[in-house]
Amino acid sequence: MFFRPKMRVEDFEAAAMPHLADLYRSATLLIRDPSEAQDLVQEVYLEAWKSFHRFEPGTNCRAWLFKILFHRLHHVRRRLIKASKMEALAGPGEEDKLTAEPPVPQEIRDEDVLLALAKVPLEFRETVLMADVEEFSYREIAETMRIPLGTVMSRLSRGRKLLRAELAEVAHSFGIRHLAKGTGQGESA
Amino acid sequence: MNVFNFDSKQCLRVREQMDAYLSNELLVETTSEVLRHLESCEGCSYELDSRLRLREALRRAADKRLPPEHLREAISQRLRRAQPGFFGDFRVIPWAVALASMVLAVVAGQQGLRFQRGRQLVSSILTIGVTDHVQCAIKGHNYPEVANPPAQLRKQLGPEYAGLLPIVQEKLPAFQVLEAHICQVPGSPRKYVHFITRGQGTILSVILTRREGESLPAGRFLVASAPGGVDLYKAQLQGMSVAGFESNEYFGFVVSDLGQDEMVQIAARLAPAMRDALSKGAGTVKADNAPRNSPPDSGGVARRAPGWLSPEAENMR
Repeated sequence: MFFRPKMRVEDFEAAAMPHLADLYRSATLLIRDPSEAQDLVQEVYLEAWKSFHRFEPGTNCRAWLFKILFHRLHHVRRRLIKASKMEALAGPGEEDKLTAEPPVPQEIRDEDVLLALAKVPLEFRETVLMADVEEFSYREIAETMRIPLGTVMSRLSRGRKLLRAELAEVAHSFGIRHLAKGTGQGESA
Repeated sequence: MNVFNFDSKQCLRVREQMDAYLSNELLVETTSEVLRHLESCEGCSYELDSRLRLREALRRAADKRLPPEHLREAISQRLRRAQPGFFGDFRVIPWAVALASMVLAVVAGQQGLRFQRGRQLVSSILTIGVTDHVQCAIKGHNYPEVANPPAQLRKQLGPEYAGLLPIVQEKLPAFQVLEAHICQVPGSPRKYVHFITRGQGTILSVILTRREGESLPAGRFLVASAPGGVDLYKAQLQGMSVAGFESNEYFGFVVSDLGQDEMVQIAARLAPAMRDALSKGAGTVKADNAPRNSPPDSGGVARRAPGWLSPEAENMR
């Protein structure tokens, strides 16, 4: 069709703005600089608006927005890594933390779990976020992040273990011992 | 202290499936198997509880990352600034721009071509007069230092054009008519009624020639209108200023090395009277291949040979 009906920004906002909190949440957990995260989210909305004609009403707008988010994130990440404002992808040595399953504290403070998450290498962190926070399915994660399904599964498994290991380290460093009562595991962690 | 049986094969299998179980990605049958095992295995149940606890802590903490108030407004404003606009759809814009550009290019091209052609036409017609002035008056020096007597000039012009002499004399009071004749430029059948005058320290020609289908373009190319609605044109050609006009079946030119505007002013004075005289006298100077010293027409109006002749023209005689 050469000409299409005029798209209204109000229609776009009605479909896309309800997902602002989700996008912002993930952006801030994937990019440490809050202003960069805000810029990223704005860019996502602008790009989504520009390609709104390709969006089919009734399909998953949230997944579509996250797809744009990860697409933009790829570019932002390269720029930030170059400027040393963002960590590179996981290097060797991270696997060492997966040799044991450390205990999970009974009570977990927000700042501890977020600090632990921030220490998880990016490619694992984003998969954990997509599955455990944003509650996307494996298939949706694979499509959004453009990685194979098997990679989603392996990254999620490793990401969760790394988060657990990092949380144990954070808890240990702060002297917290809210471990499961009566398990005996991790008492000496 | 509780003791968990980590070594059982079933536990290992459930632990392997626990990630998929947490993400609700297991088949219904497999989920049932895991649930049955969890009911009977405190260790795996505890492990699942730990993982769920961690996940809930992560969700809870992440949920507190709320977007700042201004972000929604900032996005909204940027969206409106980036609105597709009058064309309605981003996809339309490149097409619309391309189409508009094409139309503009074609129109501009046509206008430009038309303008270019118009300018060329004016120049080519005005060149007719300039060429005769340069060849006959300036290079050929076909005029006497002392003006030929009016009777001789009238004779040279013939009865058809003799009536124009007093008009030139009247309308160019600052110039003296030294010579008047019918002449040709070598290589061209075109004939000219040529008045050579002197004044203001220079030689000025008043030239008439019959139009042969040509016509000066109207509109933006004319520089002024003489009284009576005669359109005037001007140009700078071959180092000469020329003002031209169209009159009945003739083109008229005033050429000299004075300024263009001065040529236009002289032409403006001259043109209406010339037109009236020509319409009454019906000049008969025609383009033909007749010998240059022959009369312009069978009426024998101009019987004097032109005052200048190139060697080529001489050979044609």
